[in-house]
Amino acid sequence: MLSDLDTPPETRSPIPVKIVVAGGFGVGKTTFVGAISDIAPLTTEAAMTTAAEGIDDRGHVSTKTTTTVAMDFGRVAVDSSIMLYIFGTPGQDRFGFMWNDLVRGALGAVVLVDSRRIEDSFPALDYFEHRNLPFVVAVNAFDGTIFHSSDDVREALSIAPLVPVVITDARSRDAVKSTLLSLLHVSLEQARARARKG
Amino acid sequence: MHATRSLTHPHDAPSGSDASSGSEGPADTIVEAAGVRSYAITRGRAQGTVHLEIESMLRLTERGVLLGERLQFEPARVAELCRTEILSVAEVSARLRLPLGVIRVLASDLIVEGLLEAYMTSVNVADDIDLISRLIEGVRAL
Repeated sequence: MLSDLDTPPETRSPIPVKIVVAGGFGVGKTTFVGAISDIAPLTTEAAMTTAAEGIDDRGHVSTKTTTTVAMDFGRVAVDSSIMLYIFGTPGQDRFGFMWNDLVRGALGAVVLVDSRRIEDSFPALDYFEHRNLPFVVAVNAFDGTIFHSSDDVREALSIAPLVPVVITDARSRDAVKSTLLSLLHVSLEQARARARKG
Repeated sequence: MHATRSLTHPHDAPSGSDASSGSEGPADTIVEAAGVRSYAITRGRAQGTVHLEIESMLRLTERGVLLGERLQFEPARVAELCRTEILSVAEVSARLRLPLGVIRVLASDLIVEGLLEAYMTSVNVADDIDLISRLIEGVRAL
């Protein structure tokens, strides 16, 4: 009912697609999004209510807290109908609850890595591998400096040979474009592989 | 380990029917004000009847243009934003400074009433070779 296919072609329905940019705190996700977005990155919030320790002895839910997780995103009009949304998401373990929402229907993910804090990207890598979501690992060169080569990063993170590890610069539109293209090629290859199988 | 976590639904917040009665007991003071407010706006519902993705794009229907002015409060603000532009759930959330879950519920209500329409791709979009090819061409040309 709501799918693009059911609307007459002459109305030119927008086709929203999304890519996720994940990585540790301060790795440059918002900068990455801002480098390519048509609009200044926006922030949205997902609220999570947790009943951490359950119910206290008087029957009150005394440990319930609401955690708010902020997510920055931007959008790019790719052609007259495709709107690409790029969502930057915190890579920390405890935000995993939000990823299900983010990843459903995503074309793929960019795992942004700070080569000084490679371990920050573990949760995101694990998650995307598990979900079979196409992804690329992009080492962000802060001030043009890479502390480890992409080969070192690949080895340190045990990244599968088919997953590209690229060097990027989150501030540079061209670098971000080329990172997205690397990802989209992975997405295309995987889609073709599934089509051959299926 | 992460697979287990992924099964936890983001909207696992209590979806209780008793929410609208909103007891103001001392226990509630622990919950941040924003949480209470979200709860009130959606009348305690954590999910709407129409499934929406965060990138689903929303536009006011003709009926919505005609009848939208009868709306009040937050639904009116959602309708107003989607009158002149087609915006994603995430954009509406960001612009109105309301959590994603709240916008999903409000937009779902407006869709059910025929005031709003949503555009979204299939969940199998990752299998759409033509679309991905178009994206590659488009991004290259940016």
